[in-house]
Amino acid sequence: MNIIACVKQVPDTEAQIKVKADGSGIEDGQIKWVMNPYDEFGVEEALKLKEKNGGDVTIVSVGPARAMETIRTALAMGADKGIHISDPALDNADAFVTASALAAAIKGLPHDIIFCGQRAIDDDSGQVGAMLAELLGIPQLTLVTKLDFAGSSVKVIRPIEGAQLSIETSLPCVVTAQKGLNEPRYASLPGIMKAKKKPVDVKNAAALGIASDVKAKVAKVVPPPARAAGKIICGDDAAQKAAELARCLREEAKAI
Amino acid sequence: MGNSIVNTRDQRFVLYEQIGIDKLFTTDKYSGFSRDMVDMVLTEAEKFAVEMLLPAYDIADKQDPATFKDGKVHAPVCFQEPYRRYCEAGWIGPAVPVELGGQGLPMSVFAACLELFGAANYAFQMYPGLTLGAASMIATHGTPEQVQKYALKMFSGEWSGTMCLTEPGAGSDVGASRTSARKLPDGTYSITGTKCFISSGDHDLTRQIVHPVLARIEGDPPGTKGISIFIVPKYRVEADGSLGKANDVVASNIEHKMGIKGSATCTLNFGENGACTGELLGNEREGIKIMFQMMNEARFGTGMQGLDFASAAFEHAVQYAKERIQSKKIEDFTNPAAESVAIINHADIRRSLLWMKAHVEGMRAMNYFIAYCIDQEHCAATEEEKERAKGFVDLLTPICKAYCTDRGVEICSLGMDVFGGYGYCSEYPMEQYVRDVKIATIYEGTNYIQSLDFVGRKLGQNKGKNIMNLFGEITKIIQSAKSVEALSSYAVHLENAMNSTIALTMRLGQWAKSLDYIIPVMNARPLLMIVGDVVIGWKLFEAAIIAQEKLAALYARLGVNEAQGRALAKDNSEVAFYQGKLANARYFASNVLPTIDGRCACIGLTDKTPVEMAEESFSV
Repeated sequence: MNIIACVKQVPDTEAQIKVKADGSGIEDGQIKWVMNPYDEFGVEEALKLKEKNGGDVTIVSVGPARAMETIRTALAMGADKGIHISDPALDNADAFVTASALAAAIKGLPHDIIFCGQRAIDDDSGQVGAMLAELLGIPQLTLVTKLDFAGSSVKVIRPIEGAQLSIETSLPCVVTAQKGLNEPRYASLPGIMKAKKKPVDVKNAAALGIASDVKAKVAKVVPPPARAAGKIICGDDAAQKAAELARCLREEAKAI
Repeated sequence: MGNSIVNTRDQRFVLYEQIGIDKLFTTDKYSGFSRDMVDMVLTEAEKFAVEMLLPAYDIADKQDPATFKDGKVHAPVCFQEPYRRYCEAGWIGPAVPVELGGQGLPMSVFAACLELFGAANYAFQMYPGLTLGAASMIATHGTPEQVQKYALKMFSGEWSGTMCLTEPGAGSDVGASRTSARKLPDGTYSITGTKCFISSGDHDLTRQIVHPVLARIEGDPPGTKGISIFIVPKYRVEADGSLGKANDVVASNIEHKMGIKGSATCTLNFGENGACTGELLGNEREGIKIMFQMMNEARFGTGMQGLDFASAAFEHAVQYAKERIQSKKIEDFTNPAAESVAIINHADIRRSLLWMKAHVEGMRAMNYFIAYCIDQEHCAATEEEKERAKGFVDLLTPICKAYCTDRGVEICSLGMDVFGGYGYCSEYPMEQYVRDVKIATIYEGTNYIQSLDFVGRKLGQNKGKNIMNLFGEITKIIQSAKSVEALSSYAVHLENAMNSTIALTMRLGQWAKSLDYIIPVMNARPLLMIVGDVVIGWKLFEAAIIAQEKLAALYARLGVNEAQGRALAKDNSEVAFYQGKLANARYFASNVLPTIDGRCACIGLTDKTPVEMAEESFSV
């Protein structure tokens, strides 16, 4: 079975994000980078499929040189090889360019099933998986929380409001992983030692025959407005305080 | 935002910038390693510590401690899953050679992992920690069959291990041991006796537990000379390696302790029914010598415990000091309109935090250096280098154990002070840190035992060459610091402190040969702390010299002068980090090192009041 897992390197959820003074992006020199948590679910599911059905797992990532760490982490978890699409021309890639790059890399590989996170926690766009499926012309199963593989097809569960969908499709297909799909394993020490020797192909845009033809440009990144100071309501008794609270909610906050 | 337990930036500073472990990667032994690999190991260790171990820290103290129920010992339930995953990920013995199931990782890197695990949940870490120590000892001293039979299954975590020295009547005086061994016709020994305070002595994280037990073979001489060591499993091991019947090792209770409540501390009865057998490890009457391998490793591990808690307490204290609003700034005290500020603005909090920070980072640098010397023992190109590295390990191990645990207790206590009344309440982890760290000054050889070992054995070891090598290294750093403008006036304090210490150690030899021998015996603890402070000062200056170089390069790259550069700390975490290193050295040089001269003078007065006064006068 040929399994692909796409991963993105994102700032750690604990990282303190500082916006660049010129609003062109975030300061990325001093933050800790991790694998996008939704992609981890994808990698874990890929590894579980491999363990059960044989085959191999290829990790594909678009990102600068440092994204190699994330590929190696996935290899340390147990994936077999990696493709690192790295090109300064792709630094400002939007979802479309990223999906195009992934599609170009994956097209040339045998693929039965492709995992993506349902979205990346940095830009939250949630489009790459769907675009990738379209570009490859294969079915997409998004926001998946359970997956059963049955030889030439997969059956998945996708929660929707108040219910869940059970969807079945033939292979190959793209599956985007949602929280709940599994519990990602920790990279083991022997895994880390082996990861170094596993092959990772580095490809640039020219080699894949793609251009940074972005559909969406980031106009400006601005930090959220600083939270205004709270207000303490004083009063002699509860009734008086409640009256003042009601007045504030009506007149100042205009909430009621 | 950090992980709230260990500053991983400082870990990497010590490993890469201060020690330069990259040097190891050029040796045959560690040629398979590289910096990105080590980074990955550290990142995974941090992730595991924070996600798996830290959540169980408080639970295993309060709702789910180790228990003794219906004659059985249970580890905290919340340890089961982390233990399984810890073993699966290969964390028991990363530094163990590949052929024994480890990864051959440098000890210096493993020490950094251990700090993360210990700071996250020390009580948990004791189970795999003791297993590693016992298995390593069997791997070194056991027969090939014993290695196969016991050590491999311990390194994988399938079986666990302990160390059984202490008895009700034999604590610090291990030679008073009464546990006995009688040789059986098949070459094994029948073991009878009671051991107490045995950490991980019994529990349900693993089915099999392998006890290395000190015992005296019938007829062997009294004292430590007559002690042998035996491998005593909880269940007998069949020829095919499977577990057979119980081996008459029974836990009769667990202790109810002040801290580390997740660690099952057991009293073990061996051979109550005459059916406990053990295998001799190594030769007869070499028990103490063999056990010393495990003891030295455990002493380093216990020193790490001091660092672990100090680090976690410090990280929490800094965070809290930045958030807790209380009182106006001193300069605004009479201004009724002034707002209250975060307590990190107050001078006493800052002084306390810097005292903690300097010690934590100094101890981290010292402990990783010891681990690095262990690595050098394994990969040194010449016998001389190897011997030099071993000398540092021997000399610094008792300092690591006693200094880091004494200071660890002080740092946790001071960290609690930063929290004020809230620190005393169980809502915050500070009170648990204070309780959990304290045992470290007591077990694994009390700090007085460590000090006696240091003064009586280690100082003069190798004809004094080890300590002279240490002073030689410190002198080099003093000379370098003197040529750095930002440090030169401070380096004098390190020089004075070292000179006072050298003068005092010279007198030790004279005292030892005279009626004043009681002076070093009585003052062993203050003596060890004096040398400890000098070592910490050395490491802080070493770091500060590097930091000053890095700062100069950073300022040049940013195109700012030194005065402008100082203002950058607010926005540039690298600038802030290196400036913090300079602050460590300056503070320690101005506030700790000058006390050494006076402390040496105290001992030099050769006052013997404590030993001369009447016992009755202590309390009438």
